[in-house]
Amino acid sequence: MSDNVRVAVLFGFGINCDRETAAVFDMVGGSSERLHVNHLVQGNRSLEEFDILAVPGGFSFGDHLGSGRLLGNRLRFALREQLQKFVSSGKPIIGICNGFQALVKTGLLPGPENASFEPDLIQRASLTLNNTGRYEDRWVTLEFDSDSPCIWTKGIQRIECPVRHGEGRFVMPTDVELDRLSANHQLTVRYVDPSTEPGTNPSDDLLPFPLSPNGSMRNIAGICDPTGLVFGLMPHPEAFYTMWLHPEHTSMKLNEEEWEGSGLQIFRNAVEYVRSQR
Amino acid sequence: MTVHDVRIEVTPLQTEGMRDVRGDVVRRQLIADHGIDVGIVRSICGYLIRSEYDASSITPRVQDIFSDPIIEFGAVDTSVIHDSNFFPQTPSLSVTVGFKPGVTDNPGAAANDGFQVLFPDVNAAISTYTTYVFTNLPETVDNAWLASTLHNPLIERAILATRDDLSSGNASVITFPERPTIVRQSPSIIDLEVANEELIRLSVDGLLALNLTEMQAIQAHYRMAEHQTARHSVGISSNAPTDVELECLAQTWSEHCKHKIFASKIHHIDTETNEDSIIDSLFKTHIMNPTHDMAKEVDWLLSVFHDNSGVIAWNDDWSVCMKAETHNSPSALDPYGGAMTGIVGVNRDILGTGLGARPIANTDVFCFGPPTWTGELPSTLFHPSRVLRGVHAGVRVGGNESGIPTVNGAIVFDERYIGKPLVYCGTVGLMPRRLADGRESHEKNPTPGDTVYMVGGRVGSDGIHGATFSSLELTDESPSSAVQIGDPITQKKMMDMILEARDACLITCITDNGAGGLSSSIGEMAEYTNGCEIDLGKVPLKQEGLSSWEILVSESQERMTVAVAPKDTEAFEALAALHEVEATAVAEFTNSGYFHVKHGEETVAYLPIEFLHDGVPQLELESEWIPPVQPEFNPPTSLDNTNLLEEMLARPNIASKETWVRQYDHEVMAQTAVKPFVGKERDGPGDAGLIAPIHGDPQGIVISCGIAPRYSDIDAGAMVAAAIDEAVRNAVCVGVDIDKMAGLDNFCWPDPIESEKTPDGKFKLAQLVRANRELERVCRAYRLPCVSGKDSMKNDYGVWPNKISIPPTMLFSLFGNHVDVRNTATSNFKKHGQRIYLVGNSKNELGASEVAYHLTERKLAEGIGGNVPRLPEPERQLDIYRRLSKTIQDGLIRTAHDCSEGGLAVAVAEMCIGGRLGAIIDIDGIGEGDAFSRLWSESLGRIVVAVDSENEMEFIEAMSDADIHLIGMVTHAQSLIIEDGYDELIQANVTDLTKSWKEALDMTGGV
Repeated sequence: MSDNVRVAVLFGFGINCDRETAAVFDMVGGSSERLHVNHLVQGNRSLEEFDILAVPGGFSFGDHLGSGRLLGNRLRFALREQLQKFVSSGKPIIGICNGFQALVKTGLLPGPENASFEPDLIQRASLTLNNTGRYEDRWVTLEFDSDSPCIWTKGIQRIECPVRHGEGRFVMPTDVELDRLSANHQLTVRYVDPSTEPGTNPSDDLLPFPLSPNGSMRNIAGICDPTGLVFGLMPHPEAFYTMWLHPEHTSMKLNEEEWEGSGLQIFRNAVEYVRSQR
Repeated sequence: MTVHDVRIEVTPLQTEGMRDVRGDVVRRQLIADHGIDVGIVRSICGYLIRSEYDASSITPRVQDIFSDPIIEFGAVDTSVIHDSNFFPQTPSLSVTVGFKPGVTDNPGAAANDGFQVLFPDVNAAISTYTTYVFTNLPETVDNAWLASTLHNPLIERAILATRDDLSSGNASVITFPERPTIVRQSPSIIDLEVANEELIRLSVDGLLALNLTEMQAIQAHYRMAEHQTARHSVGISSNAPTDVELECLAQTWSEHCKHKIFASKIHHIDTETNEDSIIDSLFKTHIMNPTHDMAKEVDWLLSVFHDNSGVIAWNDDWSVCMKAETHNSPSALDPYGGAMTGIVGVNRDILGTGLGARPIANTDVFCFGPPTWTGELPSTLFHPSRVLRGVHAGVRVGGNESGIPTVNGAIVFDERYIGKPLVYCGTVGLMPRRLADGRESHEKNPTPGDTVYMVGGRVGSDGIHGATFSSLELTDESPSSAVQIGDPITQKKMMDMILEARDACLITCITDNGAGGLSSSIGEMAEYTNGCEIDLGKVPLKQEGLSSWEILVSESQERMTVAVAPKDTEAFEALAALHEVEATAVAEFTNSGYFHVKHGEETVAYLPIEFLHDGVPQLELESEWIPPVQPEFNPPTSLDNTNLLEEMLARPNIASKETWVRQYDHEVMAQTAVKPFVGKERDGPGDAGLIAPIHGDPQGIVISCGIAPRYSDIDAGAMVAAAIDEAVRNAVCVGVDIDKMAGLDNFCWPDPIESEKTPDGKFKLAQLVRANRELERVCRAYRLPCVSGKDSMKNDYGVWPNKISIPPTMLFSLFGNHVDVRNTATSNFKKHGQRIYLVGNSKNELGASEVAYHLTERKLAEGIGGNVPRLPEPERQLDIYRRLSKTIQDGLIRTAHDCSEGGLAVAVAEMCIGGRLGAIIDIDGIGEGDAFSRLWSESLGRIVVAVDSENEMEFIEAMSDADIHLIGMVTHAQSLIIEDGYDELIQANVTDLTKSWKEALDMTGGV
């Protein structure tokens, strides 16, 4: 069925946002399946069956030895060719929170220097312990780069959603590399002070806690690869699929049709992108 | 094959922009807890790898597993502390902390898993450690004290190296924790044909926690000819128990498993009323019977009391269940491990309900000593701040890593909890009403011939005697084997697998392995078919050499017992393999009437199911109520109520716990519609948790709790009534469906059995009697069935007369339906002009109130005695709650807050803080009593609401003859003004109030 956009939502080994991530893809017209990582590793199933891959949040392998690292290794060593082929054939991948950490540690993010190169699965950045040293669940405000090639974030300027992590501080070894990502508009989404005007270029200077919940370099909340197909972010847009999940919904007066949460558009963008490429 | 030990050490890079956060946290916490700055702290993570690979094989892969190439430096077989790139000067001190042999090492297990990915089929063991390096430690800091803050000697070892040790090269290095080899002991036969004193000695020395009557009941069993013949036929000692049998009976008959005090026959005397009566089981009389009566009137009570949690029908498609447990003794010994096993343990109760429910929300309620305690502390007890940090971390890791949101809870402080902290962990579960094959999922249906699997973790020597140990008071000799560390990821994998097995209709029966281990889990399930046969030889072990009884009763974590029909075993095992979960067939259900345990071919236990479960003799206990005398609370006449409000907001029992609670994931599963913190800056208090667990569907579940332990200082009955009312009030504040609520009673009591150790046992039992009577009275009036409960009855520390007993404490947890989460309320004032109403009446009830304790502790009052809050007309109260909840469900009210600790003044202040708005309040005419009591009294049944002016008339009509009082208005001004007629009592700045409320328990030590 040509209209069917098939989404593989990984689970197993401590991934724990698989149900809601699958649910939001279904809400925007996708057709999701929660797929245990081992189905792919053991070869019972193949990524070829799917149009979109989602690596949800959670605590894969308990975050031991660094968040996302052991899951990243399983992907990097067992699914290397499948992942490279998936991206090369123009299919979108999203990693949220622990999924983002895993994609960074596999090297899928930020990826090679430009879009014409094959994904090389070399780690170039990392996500490490929040400066506070604490795991925290709190809502943040995010500003998106409207010039980003990211296919997931088209038309989104600013949204709120929760972060829930202890290791969300995005780091790269040098400014040179950060400058390159910035120039490529791969710094897709950053923490922002909600009192600033949306659309004004967010500052590279570190925002104070808790505006930036983790002390990320350049307030980075999420990045994409040079193709814009692979996107990862620490915050949880799937956790704001409806307004009743907003912390202040009791202060709002909403009509029946106003209850969609602003996190949902990210998932809709990808499903629509897949349809548009057919 | 040569075995190599390879050491890898990893430390954060110190290049620009990189930080050593682990070290920073140690520094900050010592500042926050003890006011001591130890200077810069650096951390090193160590891995000891025992495998067939040597350093040269492992070195090229270090960055693939152990160290992150971007942020860390990893070294093989060298000590990083001697690397001058990282430590240019010799540090003052290093403290290396590693696990003791046999203690669960989760990072080690994860590292091993990662190691296997790169070195497939390797036979490896990995042990981890952490080194804290103090580069410039002030000389005033004692090294041994510092090390004691960094490890728990019960489960960890610490190796210290001073500057001299390090510079001279004499520093000792931590090595692989070697487990001593143990050799399996054959089951021994215990001769029970001995004098009574000897029977007692057998029980005490063997940590069996059985009394003489119980030992004699066991003795009598083995004297009966019919049993002797049956035993002879299976080749087990005919006239005396094996150690396996005695241990099995001790577990099954433990206070922890059998609730013998709640089931006892009580002779109760009340000196106030001259009552002299017999109560045959508090549980049956006051908890079970009322619920069964209520079950006749509603159609939604699906399963009560007999399963691992109580189940209600939520709607036509889904049922909801809830369970709360305590893990007090383990948390006293090892706050982190004890609390973690508490939360992951109660998760398994949910997974083991019916044919398997999915945990969807956690609750945590803790009772601790004051975190700022500076008084005496017995040497074997941890400082309350350490207990708080450890318990919090254990519950945080257990809940977060399991992917279950923590949506509700409380932290209560009282000096008496220094002796024994209370750690209540609750979990709500969700399951489909029917499975694909048509079976109702809340019912178990095993048949003889079903295969019984042990699923999840392996059995080790950890966790032996947990059930019997928790049935004894805590002493210096309490065993370390009673403590375990949970492994949430192993459990998460198991949970994923079991829920798939349930949905594939592969499960006929399931239960958790908690207290009593396989002995309890298989033993309880065997009641369904009236028999089972176990082979302990098949049970996978963490370590060879365990004896039969140890395998049977070990409480090693992360295990479920699952029965599967023979036709489905292949599919079940395939599913387990996919999820990398160990599932081993260890038993089979029979209808033999016997709990038959073999080890290989040898029968090691052969106990009639009936004797095992129903053979324990009923306790007979004495109870006598003499009202306690407390010095009357009389507040000083000249008091600045504004200052008092700021002080009250900073009281640990009232102050914000935000920095702690934020560390729990309360939003995973994308369902939390009212969060623990609410309002403009998301830092006002949430009254109850509200979740909408079916994505896209606004039908909700309310989760709330109530706890009021200090009211027991006047009357434990009042304590229980207050706890129930508080749980209901909190639920009403978010608009609960008042006609579909269920409750859980969790009693934590000091030992109420009169003895030499407990000369005041009769009084403590009378407190329990009064508590249960109030539980029945209020629950019947509120039509609030208790569907599951638990009791922990030995919460004492030390020996009379230096015994510390907790105040009798009952946590009441509530879960209820919510029609539509889009219509709910939060505590924060929303906007200027909202009209503020008090629902309910204020009475002169300052006895045992927070303000009474505060002023008594400040030496401004003589005592806390007086009228404790009561609930004289619960039927009328229910009507008020129904009306108020309806106004929230109808969208008329969006602002509501429970009025409890600290009374009206505190409640209104919290609403201002949440909204960052001011208010003008007049408390004239809201009830009896002087202005002081109307400000601070904790009278039950009161809720503060704010209503937008356009909804005001409709609200008043809806409340009709309920007592409501217009008390004021929300204002733009950042000040809270409270007047009594023409007298101004309080004029406070909202920013100051916010600061007082938020800073008291922050304890982060800065960013």
